[in-house]
Amino acid sequence: MYRRKRTADTFRKSATYLSALLSSVVLIAIIVFVIINGSGLLSIKLLVSDYHPHNYSLEDKTNKLDRSLPPFERPSNLNENEYFSYDYGITLKDSKDSEGKSVVVISKIDKRSPLYRMDDKSDPQNTVQLKTGFEINTIIFDNGSVTSRNGAEMMVLRLEEANYIETMSLSSGGGGIRGSLLTTFVLIILTLAIALPFGILTAIYLNEIATKNKFNEILRSLIDMLTGIPSIIYGLMGAALFVPFSMSVFKTQGGSLISGSLTLAIIVLPVIIKATEEALIVVPRPYKEASYALGANMTQTTFKVVLPNALPGILSATLLSIGRIIGESAALIYAIGTAIKDDVSVFDKGTSLAVHMWTVMAGEVPNLEMASSIAIILLVLVLVLNISVKLVSHKFLKKYEGAL
Amino acid sequence: METVFKIKDFNLFYGEKQALHNINFSIYANKITAFIGPSGCGKSTLLRSFNRMNDFIPSCHFEGNINYYDKNIFDKDSDPIGLRTEVGMVFQKPNPFPMSIYDNVAYGPRCQGIKDKKQLDEIVISALEQAAIYEEVKDRLKDSALALSGGQQQRLCIARAIAMKPKVILLDEPTSALDPIATSKIEDLILELKEKYTIIIVTHNMQQAARISDFTAFFLLGEMVEYKPTEILFSHPELKKTEDYITGRFG
Amino acid sequence: MEHSKFGTTLSNPNKVNKTKSRKIDKMVRAGLRLVTILSASIIFFIIFFIAQRGIKPFIGYGELNVSLSSFLTGNTYFQLPNVYGIGFVIVNTLIVVFFAVLISAPIGVLTALFISRMMPKPFNGVFLVIVEMLASIPSIIYGVFGAGFITKMVNGLASLLGMQTAGGLSGLSVVLVLAMMILPTITLMSVTSINAVNRDIELGSMALGATDTYTFFKISLPAAKSGIFAGIILGVGRALGEATAVSMVAGNAGTGPNLNLFDTTRTLTSSMLLGLKETTGLDYDIRFSIGIVLIIVILISNMALNYVKKKVGRKYV
Repeated sequence: MYRRKRTADTFRKSATYLSALLSSVVLIAIIVFVIINGSGLLSIKLLVSDYHPHNYSLEDKTNKLDRSLPPFERPSNLNENEYFSYDYGITLKDSKDSEGKSVVVISKIDKRSPLYRMDDKSDPQNTVQLKTGFEINTIIFDNGSVTSRNGAEMMVLRLEEANYIETMSLSSGGGGIRGSLLTTFVLIILTLAIALPFGILTAIYLNEIATKNKFNEILRSLIDMLTGIPSIIYGLMGAALFVPFSMSVFKTQGGSLISGSLTLAIIVLPVIIKATEEALIVVPRPYKEASYALGANMTQTTFKVVLPNALPGILSATLLSIGRIIGESAALIYAIGTAIKDDVSVFDKGTSLAVHMWTVMAGEVPNLEMASSIAIILLVLVLVLNISVKLVSHKFLKKYEGAL
Repeated sequence: METVFKIKDFNLFYGEKQALHNINFSIYANKITAFIGPSGCGKSTLLRSFNRMNDFIPSCHFEGNINYYDKNIFDKDSDPIGLRTEVGMVFQKPNPFPMSIYDNVAYGPRCQGIKDKKQLDEIVISALEQAAIYEEVKDRLKDSALALSGGQQQRLCIARAIAMKPKVILLDEPTSALDPIATSKIEDLILELKEKYTIIIVTHNMQQAARISDFTAFFLLGEMVEYKPTEILFSHPELKKTEDYITGRFG
Repeated sequence: MEHSKFGTTLSNPNKVNKTKSRKIDKMVRAGLRLVTILSASIIFFIIFFIAQRGIKPFIGYGELNVSLSSFLTGNTYFQLPNVYGIGFVIVNTLIVVFFAVLISAPIGVLTALFISRMMPKPFNGVFLVIVEMLASIPSIIYGVFGAGFITKMVNGLASLLGMQTAGGLSGLSVVLVLAMMILPTITLMSVTSINAVNRDIELGSMALGATDTYTFFKISLPAAKSGIFAGIILGVGRALGEATAVSMVAGNAGTGPNLNLFDTTRTLTSSMLLGLKETTGLDYDIRFSIGIVLIIVILISNMALNYVKKKVGRKYV
């Protein structure tokens, strides 16, 4: 009988278990971190608001509070930090903005309130309707002034004391990601519109038509090489080629969603080619043979028989590409830029969700909370896309179980 | 004759399906015992029980016991790993490791903690000699084992098992993947090995069993039908079933 | 003459049909070929346009030309008016990637062993999903995690050890972030390779009296060597090219090389991504030059590692 080494085995086993544990810990840490920091800001308001706040300077032209009106009724469900003005029918509360500064926000305003619609000092023709969510910065009364620093309670008190309001400056909030959300959506559509046809047609050529000669081997390896290129290099190429292209052909001012989509299209092209090829390979030969036997030519067979059967694979390719597009950051920083826009135009700059995260983290004061909120959205999207890809391939394989 | 294995009331199941029914017999030392029978009759399954390789098949469970020199190998305090160092196995398809010939044979001893080069050299050379392959490979011990022919690879696997200095060698259809010349070389080898080791060989080739074995057990549908010294089984089988199989009426 | 539906003459039923069909096929074939050639030539476009922009700093600025040799060997990133040196940046990049691989390769390979050999069927799927999820997390999120958490941890570790950091922005943070990012790559490729190892040799090992753990380490892992190494090479490529996450934790040191992992560091990619102000001028164009250097570094490391892979893997196959 020979001796056996038990301690070495235990060491190896524990090292293995530890390593597996580590991977799980990393994933959980990232998710927990992102949720802790981001869930505070996550709301519908975040999704639909502009990023850049609008500042208004307003006045009440009628100038005097009509004291003949009965006082407004106090709402019954006020919270701790909400304060109600009987004279003006407006509820103010203390809150924090997306950067953590203390602000006073309108939480309710009665339609009949004298403050409901006020005149824009910068544009005599314009009136502005006060809405829930607006932040009041300063109010200048006939007998003094009050700012957001004094707090909501003080502001309401002063409102009740005052006779009329000379000027009210407020901001319609910001810190929303509507612009970036829209931009991401537009980028996805544009990119797929460019890359899908190119990718599918290339895959068809490589798979159905190309013979095994040197030239085609070279073509294939050139396309394979594209997968190893880091995204920032694609970004440089976008800045060097597509931005000037967009400027000269579409007359844009520097980077645009067009140059961004062109760059993204090149990034996802290898993904689409590969996934489509895999889908084409699985289409059983008997289908093609039946088509030829009926007298169809190669074009008809390819486009009417083979391609439709490869659709699930093309769907997978699309989903994978969408995942790549929404996750891409470095390339777009070069191919478009980092300016966050609220109005989305194909000919203008804009940020995808990922680039929006970069921009808010790159500022003087990194906005970790906003970045984490967007991260939550991205993670959910990525998860959904991954699951969809798995479902699609599962169904796809089942379809061909018999025929293979 | 010394008894090496005593199989008592052994029933084995793969999940719901019963593969071995009430096996009862003994294996004797320094003899070659052959298991014969049609495909799927359970002979390989029984063979794998002797070195507890069935432990690696999750659905496998059993009743009864198998004694190895008076100790039930399935006892709670029995050590399957130690058992395998004494009961070696050669598989149907040669499975040398992707290493040098030397390292293949030295693997087992190294696993047990032997590090001294001189000691290992001795063990390796002795094993290769006993497996009748040393002369063919002595100049290329550092070459890859995968470069050998099928027959050579199988003899290498036998050498690998011998290097452990086992008491028993289990052979699971060792020549079914080989050509006739390689087959006969290995049959000669097995006959030589009988002197030092107890050998159990599963074979679907009856002529092979008749040629080399001392005892033959005939299996059918998971039962051991007949177990006799080989000459007797092949010349005067007791049961008709046995006779039918031997004369080739089925299987 | 009678005409059939397909526009042929019945006396020559197939002739016209064949010609028209053939013509369409020929055109379609040619069209598809063109598209494919276009796709394949993208890589040339990339090289050409980046090179075009990247050469400018050395020849297009007249007096303000940057000197190529000081660019490639310099220890200071920028000095007015036209001194750019990335010599130390290349060294930094190689250092952080080296350490990142040093950490993530063993962990990745062992995790793969765990998933493919040590966990029974239903449960190993869970871990595989975990790894696949990690693989699909966008780099910006790793960057945010790095900037918000890893840097704080490194800062804490530094004060424990009595060292200084710039708020955690350091080479160590870069190493940790990169390690997290390439871990799933290495793991997934290793899982595939280990799964492909022939079960027969594992059984052979265990029949000789080896434990399962011993078998996995002495037989299975070596047999999966080439696939595992391929995964590591992939990881190295990814680490060299990672820009977003690295830029958020590096600190972008001005001079170097930065050998103390607690100091800020500067990599090729962080140099390209940080400090972007204008989209014209020397400071912008030099980033394209850095891009060229990055491509070359990736190419060379790929070739070198593949050469090593060939030499090591050849022996016993």
